[in-house]
This record gives sequence, structure tokens and C-alpha cells, in this order.
Amino acid sequence: MIKALRPTEQLTTKHSVKSITLLILAIELVLVSLSLYESVFTWVMLIIGCSGVIRVIIYSQYYKHLPTIRTLNLLAVLSILGLIYSSFNESLLLIMVNLLVLACALKLMQARSQRDVYQLVSSLFFVIGCGFIFNQSIGFYIFYTLMSLILLISLACFQAPSLPIQRQCKTVLKLSLQALPISILLFLVLPHLPPLWQVPTSKSFETGLADNITPGDIAQLSQSSDLAFRATFQGPVPNPKDRYWRAIVMEDFDGKTWRTAPLRKKIQEQLKRQNKEFSPAVTGSYTEYDIMVEPTHQNWLFALDIATPNNSKSANEIWQSSNYQLISNQTLLSKYEYSVRSYPQALAHQRFTQIDQRLNLDVPESGNKKTQSWVAFQRKLKPSDDEFIQAVLRYFTQQPFVYTLRPKLMLSDPIDTFLFENQAGFCSHYASAFAYMLRLGNVPARVVTGYQGGELVKENNQAPYLSIYQYDAHAWVEAWTEQRGWQRFDPTALVAPDRIEFGLQQAMQDEGSFLADSPFSLARMSNVAWLNNFRLFLADLDYDWSRFVLGFDDTKQKDLFKLILGKVTPDRLSLLGLGIISLVALLLCLFFLPHWLKNRMDTTQRLYFKALDVFESAGTIRPNWQAPLSFSEDIQQQYPATISNPFTQITQLYLRIQYQDTNKHKHSVLNTKRTHKLMRNHLQKLKKEIIKNNKSPL
Amino acid sequence: MNENPLSNATNTISQVLIGKPKQVKLALTCLIADGHLLIEDLPGMGKTTLSHTLAMVLGLQYSRIQFTSDLLPADMLGINIFDNKEQEFRFHPGPVFSQLVLADEINRASPKTQSALLEAMEEGQVSLDGKTHLLPKPFFVIGTQNPQHQSGTYPLPESQLDRFLMRIQLGYPNKEAEKSMLTAQIGDNKTIIKPVMPLNHFIQAQESATKIHASDELLNYILALVTHSRESNQFANPLSPRATKALLSAAKAWAYLNNRDYLIPEDVQAVLPSVAEHRLRSASSDFSTQGSLSQILLEAIDPIAL
Repeated sequence: MIKALRPTEQLTTKHSVKSITLLILAIELVLVSLSLYESVFTWVMLIIGCSGVIRVIIYSQYYKHLPTIRTLNLLAVLSILGLIYSSFNESLLLIMVNLLVLACALKLMQARSQRDVYQLVSSLFFVIGCGFIFNQSIGFYIFYTLMSLILLISLACFQAPSLPIQRQCKTVLKLSLQALPISILLFLVLPHLPPLWQVPTSKSFETGLADNITPGDIAQLSQSSDLAFRATFQGPVPNPKDRYWRAIVMEDFDGKTWRTAPLRKKIQEQLKRQNKEFSPAVTGSYTEYDIMVEPTHQNWLFALDIATPNNSKSANEIWQSSNYQLISNQTLLSKYEYSVRSYPQALAHQRFTQIDQRLNLDVPESGNKKTQSWVAFQRKLKPSDDEFIQAVLRYFTQQPFVYTLRPKLMLSDPIDTFLFENQAGFCSHYASAFAYMLRLGNVPARVVTGYQGGELVKENNQAPYLSIYQYDAHAWVEAWTEQRGWQRFDPTALVAPDRIEFGLQQAMQDEGSFLADSPFSLARMSNVAWLNNFRLFLADLDYDWSRFVLGFDDTKQKDLFKLILGKVTPDRLSLLGLGIISLVALLLCLFFLPHWLKNRMDTTQRLYFKALDVFESAGTIRPNWQAPLSFSEDIQQQYPATISNPFTQITQLYLRIQYQDTNKHKHSVLNTKRTHKLMRNHLQKLKKEIIKNNKSPL
Repeated sequence: MNENPLSNATNTISQVLIGKPKQVKLALTCLIADGHLLIEDLPGMGKTTLSHTLAMVLGLQYSRIQFTSDLLPADMLGINIFDNKEQEFRFHPGPVFSQLVLADEINRASPKTQSALLEAMEEGQVSLDGKTHLLPKPFFVIGTQNPQHQSGTYPLPESQLDRFLMRIQLGYPNKEAEKSMLTAQIGDNKTIIKPVMPLNHFIQAQESATKIHASDELLNYILALVTHSRESNQFANPLSPRATKALLSAAKAWAYLNNRDYLIPEDVQAVLPSVAEHRLRSASSDFSTQGSLSQILLEAIDPIAL
């Protein structure tokens, strides 16, 4: 009768359990590799897709046979060859990541045993870890956390196949939530060691500014709305027209391309070896700010002119070059924060060395004849440097120059073509032409690239900060005159004042070329109010994330300790450690206390529940309303007598203690202690039999 | 505990009502628990056969009242008739004065007649013209009713349904049972059935059933079930304390039939559908869920974690 009431139980077979787990793993692999779409080769992606499809087919039982080992070996050999071929052009890291993902995909295609599943799960955790090399934003963090949870769920499915998926999810979520406070604590207090190994880099990872510019070769400047860096100001934020973020100074020009002077590099290396750091003469008022730069895989840092590191940590990690660049000692593989102080007036008061002079007057003899003659003519008219510079600038304002992101190609004599024919270009064209003209006129000049502008974000109770995006990249000119020292000139500002005052988007409104190659970029739609708010909210979130989570390094940790302890002494530090440990212990207690309390219920109940647990781990779960006797009848039907007999005995003893009239049977029934002993004996027997029964391979 | 003769009764009845051991056992349980039984099913399912056989097996005095819409209380209870010889009113007891009364198609009678019977069931006596007439002991009513939606029925109100300890449904027999029913010697059955025990033994059995041990854990289980019906918002009519008592005594009778002198949760689970289903009413108007209200209740409570 009771049986009639019970819903039909669907005991999943062991085979389908594994295929569910593997299906989840396949989905996981596909998703994680999609998140690495920039790093994973297309053909590897295809193989991953195939492995996913194979798993789906096997799960749906449309086709039941895995690919043969021979097929897979062939595929593996071919893939290795493919990877070796790619390794000529790509960096080692990329190849290794592809190898890992590929291995996972191949394993997935032929996974059958328990070991395969475990291998796959751990490899996928590693792939997720690799994901963090490439993506560190909060969105990806959430995504990878989700992926890790799914991995854990798949593991849970594999371990306790008979539980419904909802319960698996609940268990995993519960465990993860319990792990969360502990991991936060550990994140805050564990020492943040410098990386033990470095990721090999290559050109393909570098983002942001290039170390040379060849304006004539570019027909369309590609832009990106990716964040370049953020600057948080302690004091007032400089005006838009003063926001020139210096990154790279280019002093070597061959008629087409501007690049950093090799001599400068050599000198720098020499100085670095002797540990003689250049420090500029600083005068006048200054602004202080912190910069959080996105990983660029380069060493350039960004700062307003003229900057010096503001604290000892930044001073240790930043090298100052004699052309006022800031260069990080470490390649920027992850977000990096530094603190600087800028002296806007100091540029005019710098020393002008022989080397400066030599480098900044050097022009190629050949090419650009028209420009050469034009400059020679002007120079004759205007003997003073100042007047000459003004005359050149006037040329830009008087001629119908146009600012465009889609200039025509200028392959031969690019500066002639630009100045006298096309008269249309973007900042690099203007800067390059202007610097060239000054050098021809015997005025030392150089091109500086970096960023110009930035989006101001002001929160009520936070320091204001500027977000500088990749599309804010800019190039301008520095020229030296006897009277005024180094001076910044921006010919672009004369042609397109909007570019400097309001940013690129404003300047490009007519042309419509702002972020033309990324039509769905949120930055492109900033005229829609709520979208813009949303974008700023995202930017803000990302900012806080970088600042407080990614930027939490050992100095911040020390500050935190100081905040808690007042003064960092070994005694207090060990006290803090003890406190943390006991806090973790307390959290663990909170988790285990219910279990301990449960264990403290009476022995009879506990022994019976143990027996139930044995069956639960074997895949048979008592529906939680089923009474003991009918459950033992079920067990008799499902299991061989060797297993069901001890359980029947346990059930009988349990019923006797729980429900029989103890007073009436005082003399006849065994006393409670002996009954418990009997139950224990039967439990041992039951466990042994279950293990024996489970030995049959999966 | 010795093999009790009532187990024989189950077997004997099962020879007549083929293929329904569970229902037979429940019906016997109901009588052992000294409760009235309501059998609800379509015509021709063996309701009458079951009740008649029960009477014969237990050696009870049996009468049958066919309820119709024009049946009056007096037709059932009896009537005072003036005796010319004695010059006084003499009471002529009606068919209700039997130890086992089969109230056939109880929901065809008018509410007035229904309540007269139900009053007799509750009080164990009949009051007529100021005089009280005691009903025999034991006194059982087996009511049968057609499903509610059949035409010409007056559904029993909840208050009166509550008077029945159990409600069972017979349902169709399975193929084999029906076949053996066809091959059996029909008509002979009733003659071969003899009481399995004297009546006083049956009354003793009733007494020993009440003495069956219910442990604390088990009482907690019953209370948890009842409380859940009151606290959950799934039930418009939860279980009354009378239902709680009914559940315990029915479970005890069931345990007695299973030759156990203590209650286990299975006993409660076995009788709960018949004891509780007709007392519960779903809170939702969706009738499709009504069939399993007691099942919902059962599944909500874990019997061993109390």
C-alpha cells in the first residue's frame, strides 16, 4: 500500500551519470575557450567545438561510440604539428595555452574512466586560471567564478550521481558561500608575494601605444574604447587642454617614421646599470595623483609633464629617463598602480644637453624637397626662433587643413604630400610634419606620444578621477628655444581645437568616424543619457574593482595592518594572525556545529542514519517521508541479500528501540546498550558489503 | 503475540471479494477501531458484498437500508404505533437497530434522513417522542455512496463526513482477480461463510487494539502530520482533533491486524489516506489535485527525524 503511494524513482544509471558530468565539462570547456577567443586559434576552437558536439551526441544517445584511439592519436599528432607551425609566429605562452585547451578537448572526446573525469576537471581549473592572464576585469572575474562553480557542480554530479541537480547546485553554492568569507580573509592577510615566474610575452599582447609612428602608412586609424589608465587626483583636476599624458618621446626621424632614439636607449641602459637615475629639476606648483594603468605588456607609464614618483614604492619601481618619461622596471602584465607628482611649469626650466641637441636636430637629407625649400625660405624671413615657430604654426591655421581619422595613404615624401597636397590627417601627421619643419629650421624638436584628455568622473564622496581610453591616444611636439627652454606645441589643436577641448568624439562628430570599427561600443552611444550613465557605472565599478581588489598589493596590505593595529610590531602582527586564525576557526565551527549537534542525537537514531548514509552514497536515497520498515523492504528488493540482511536487522533493532513499549518488554528485549552494539556490528557488515558491491568499475 | 483470528477474517472475506486485500483489511481495521466506514465507488464494484461479508464473518446482526430521496427518518429508525390491546404506544424498531447497518447509497437520501442516521451513529441511541432507545453494541454503519458528481445525490456535509472513521474506495479489480471471480462458483460463497469467532472475541480484539503501544516518537509523528495540515496553506479544511484521535485508533487497529503490539510509522501511513482524505479539502480550487491530499501531507513529514 505504501509502495503504491511512492512516486516512481528514477535511478540514473552509472553510464548516464558520467555522460551528464562530461556534458557539463564539455559546455564548460567551450565557454571558457570562448572567453579566450583572442588567444585560442580558430582551428583549435573548431576541435573544441567538435568535442562538445561529440559529448552532446553521446548524451542524447543518438550515437553511442566514442572516437577510436587511433583517430584521436592522429588528430593529436596533426594538432601538435599545427601548434609547432604556429609557434614560429606566436609567443610561447599562446602556444602553451592552446596546447592545454587542445589537450582538454581531445581528452573530452575519449573520456571514459573516472580518472579521465578528474583529469579534465583539474585541467579545466587550470584553463580558468589561464583565463586570468588575459582577462582581469570584473566581468570576467564573475564569469570565471561562475565557471568554477559549474566545474564544482559537475564534480558533485559525478560524486553523488543519484542526487537531483538542484540539490547538487545547492550544496556547491552552500560550500562556496562558506568558502567566501574565509578566502576574503586570506586574501587580506596572506602575504602578497611577487610572482615566482613570469609569463613570456610577445608583441601580439602589447596594447596601447606603439614605440614608433609612421603617419603616412595609415589609411584609417583604428580606435578602441578600451580603458588605458585611470588617474585619481588628490587636488583639483587639470583643465582639458592641459591634460597631456606623456608616454614615449620619439627623437629619431628617417623621413617617414618617428621612433625612440637608439642612442637614448643605450644611454639609458648604461645609466640603469650604474644605477644613476635622472631627476629633472622641479619648480613651481604641482599636482599629485595616483594612476592605475591597465596591463599593456609594455613598460611605458603615463604622467602629466613633468612627473616624479611621489612615494618610495613608486620611486623604486619606476625609472625616470632624461627625456622625462616614466618607465616601469617591470613589464605591465597586470594592472599597476603608481603615484606621481607633476610640475606643469617645470618643462621650461630643464637643462639642454649636447645629446639633446644632437638628437633633436637630426633630419634626413633626402626627401620632402618641397618642405625643405619652404622652410629654408621661411627661415630666411624670420631669423628669430620664436618668430619662425609662429610662422610655421600660422601655416597650419591659414591653409585649409582638416582633421580626419581616414587620411589618404602618403607613401612617398609623406610630409610633402601632407603639407602641400592632402592637407588632411590626424595628430601623428601634424606632429610629425611640425617637428620635421622645426628641425629643418634648426630648432630642436621631437615628437611625444601619449594620451590627451580623459573623461572626468566625480563621485560625491570620492576623489575625482579621469578615465583615459585608448581612443584618447595623441601625439604632439616639443621644441627647444634659448629663451623658453622646452615648450609643448600641438599643431592638432590649431586645426581641430575640439579634439583638445572636448575629446575625439566631439571632434569627429561630422565625419562619423569615432570608433567606426566598433559599432556596438557603449562609448559611441554616449549621447543616449541612460546608456552613458550605464557606461559610466560600469567604468566606475571596474575602477573600484581595479583599485581595491586588483590593486591590493603588499603596501596596501601594510596600510591595512596599520589601520587595524595602529603600529605594526611583531607582537601585534602575531596577535592579528592568531585573531584571524581563530576567526577562521569560528567560521568553520559555525558550519560544523549543526553537524555536531546532529551527531549528538541519541545513539539509536544516529546509528540508523549512518546506515541510511551508506545507502545514500551507494545511490539509494530514502524519500524523506518514507518510514523505516518500508524502506528496508525496498532495500531487500534492490540489493542482494548480503547487503539487505544486515540492513533489515538494523531496521528491526531501530524499530524495537524507537517504537516498542520499553516498560512492557523490559525483561524480554535486549537492553539498549546491547542493541546498539548489535546495530554497530550490522552497520560494519553493511559497509563492507556495500564496498564489495561497488568495486565493479564505473 | 498469538496469531489472531482476525487475520483469518481477512482471508475469508478475500475469497468473496476477490483481488481487494488492501480494502478488506482497511474495512476490518475500521471495525476493530470501532468506527463507521464509508465506501465510495461506482455501482457494481462490490460495496454491498464487502459489507455483507464483513457482517457474516464477524457474526454480526445485519440489516440493509436502501437510501432513496423519499426515505423518511421514521422508515429507518422505527416508529411508535398505538397498540389497541395494551392501550399505549409501542415502539417498533426500524432497520437501524442492527449491529451492522448497511446504509446503501447514503447520499441519495434527503439531508434530513442523512442527519438522523448520522446522529444515531454518533450517539449510539435513537430518541423518539421523548424516549431514548439504545442501539445494539457493537454498532457499525457501513455507508456506501456514489461519487459526488452522479445525478440525484445530496453530498454529505463535512461535519457528517467527519463521523465516518474511514472512507475507502474499492476500484476496479485487476485482470487476474476479475478472471478468477468469473470462474468462481458464484452464489455458493455466502453459504460457506461462517463466523470466524464468537462476538465477544471480537469485542476483546477491539479492546486489545486500543492497548497497543504508541511511543513518543510515533505520537510526535501523528502530531506533526496533523499540525502540518493546519499550518500549511494547501488545506482549506485541516484535520480536527477528532481526526487525530481517529488516526491513532485506526493505526492501532492496523497494527493489531499485523500482529504487532506497538505502532510504527507505517501503520499511520497505511491508514492515513482512508482516515484523512475525506476530512481534508484543498485550498486551491483546482480539483485535479484533490485526489492526493493525504499524499501531500504524508510527503511533507519525515517520520524518523522527529
